[in-house]
Amino acid sequence: MLEASFTKSLGDFTLKSSFKVEKGVMAILGSSGCGKSMTLKCIAGLFKPDGGEIHLNGRTLFSSDKRVNVLPRNRNIGYVFQNSALFPHMTVRKNIAYAAKGLRSQNISEIIEKMQLSGLENHYPYQLSGGQQQRAALARTLIREPELLMLDEPFSALDNHLKHLLELELLSIIRSNYNGIVLLVTHNIEEAYRLSDNIMVMDKGLNLQVSPKNELISKPANVAAARITGCKNFVDVEITGETENYHILRSGSLCMQAVKTGAAPDRRMIAGIRAHHIILFPPEDIRENVYNGTVLEKIEGVFSVTLILDCCGKTLRAEADKSHMPRLASCDGSTIKVHIPPQYIFLMEG
Amino acid sequence: MEGINLFPLYLSFRVALTATLFSLLIGLPAAYFLSRKRGKVVDLLDTFTNLPIVLPPTVLGYYLLVLLGRQSSIGKFLEDNFDIMIVFTPTGAVIAAAVVSIPYMIKSSKTAFHEVSEDYLNAARLLGRGELNIFCTIVVPIAWRGVAAGLTLSFVRALGDFGTTLMVSGSIPNKTMTMPIAIYDALQAGDKGMANILVLIMTTIAVVVLFTINSLERKMKKEVK
Repeated sequence: MLEASFTKSLGDFTLKSSFKVEKGVMAILGSSGCGKSMTLKCIAGLFKPDGGEIHLNGRTLFSSDKRVNVLPRNRNIGYVFQNSALFPHMTVRKNIAYAAKGLRSQNISEIIEKMQLSGLENHYPYQLSGGQQQRAALARTLIREPELLMLDEPFSALDNHLKHLLELELLSIIRSNYNGIVLLVTHNIEEAYRLSDNIMVMDKGLNLQVSPKNELISKPANVAAARITGCKNFVDVEITGETENYHILRSGSLCMQAVKTGAAPDRRMIAGIRAHHIILFPPEDIRENVYNGTVLEKIEGVFSVTLILDCCGKTLRAEADKSHMPRLASCDGSTIKVHIPPQYIFLMEG
Repeated sequence: MEGINLFPLYLSFRVALTATLFSLLIGLPAAYFLSRKRGKVVDLLDTFTNLPIVLPPTVLGYYLLVLLGRQSSIGKFLEDNFDIMIVFTPTGAVIAAAVVSIPYMIKSSKTAFHEVSEDYLNAARLLGRGELNIFCTIVVPIAWRGVAAGLTLSFVRALGDFGTTLMVSGSIPNKTMTMPIAIYDALQAGDKGMANILVLIMTTIAVVVLFTINSLERKMKKEVK
């Protein structure tokens, strides 16, 4: 188990991180410059936090109170860098052997095979593709059997069309060869969702939320977390009443019902609605949360269409499957029916 | 061509090689330190290490005399305790040559060390290595061409020094007379043949060294790409 709670200031940027990871893969999600990488570097001991505590499986790695600061080389943490950081003057085998030095009965050939690097042992890093480089870097890290494995945007240097494949490949290799804690830094919610069990959202040096990934999507803790996880629609609402299962929300002339979850909300809240949850052309039998939306703009993507809608005076963004295209083509600039499912509206404090 | 005294050639090589060894031992760690640290004190030290390049050799020689002469406390200490004399000895020539050549060692290595990404060092740290080990197994092997260029430059600088060496160790024939001083001496004495041979030797060395450095730098640039 990794328990970290520390602060670190650098210029006018302050990082305040506090979280716990039991097992499995946790993604650290945030835009660039939010302190994701610095969090990893503090845990690895490459940066010294100003204060706080870091414990890994019962061992204190850093404690400002007890004046403990274990050197990086003694932390038993694996770190895969953005650009792989394979030593350029060594072959793949030598890179791995460099890591294995001083360890008992390590079989370098075995890990080369496991990481699907057979035949590339005597290649230099510059002769490898991006994916091969990351696998070699992973092999070099895993041969030391680290208690914690950290991946710092390991796919960001790769071509887009390869990324998807390599992600899954790398993660399946990790899952079948490693059973410690994995921290994965990324700025891509899709990547975070695909690869992790839990997600921690960071913004401007603060961690906003740590939760299982589906919970993060259905119930972000605040507006910033919702925005980082890809939510496009935010509506200031007033809670005007409630029924047995629903809150009644009002914002200008827009009136919505939202499924109750958890504690009673304040009177004024912000409602978040994800663009792809808005349903265009709902079936006739749906009565609640159905509105007339005026199409202000239509943006065609590869597999989906984004609509900017005017709904009772509120501008909403809806994302729909392209199968709606024929029907949308005929109603350009006109009004269509839209439905906001009550179970997908989440309330956040303003 | 008879009677050419090759002692200056022998002495020059001995002095230059020893001085280069000192440049390596002192300059390499200094260059690494300067390439990795930031701050006002570091900037000041950086400027200070470049001083021997811009100071006139005679000024530098004067400082060394003041610092290490028989009247100075360091000079006295060395003479009383170890029977080491610096002024007017080959030892003095080595010190003079080392002082003028170290900046070149530092400058060239520092630039090369700068190019070594911090990620490599961090990766090695997390793979269980200590700083000295990382320096020897990662930093120097990656930056070796810059180090080699620095080494060659400081060797030729040490080999060719005239002013500082003359100030510190003088020009005693068969004792402290190095090649550049011998050239001056031969010319003064009207021995053109001697001067020509010595000049030819020095020029050949310079051309070879320049060629070596150029090819090292070309390869270094290629490798970075």
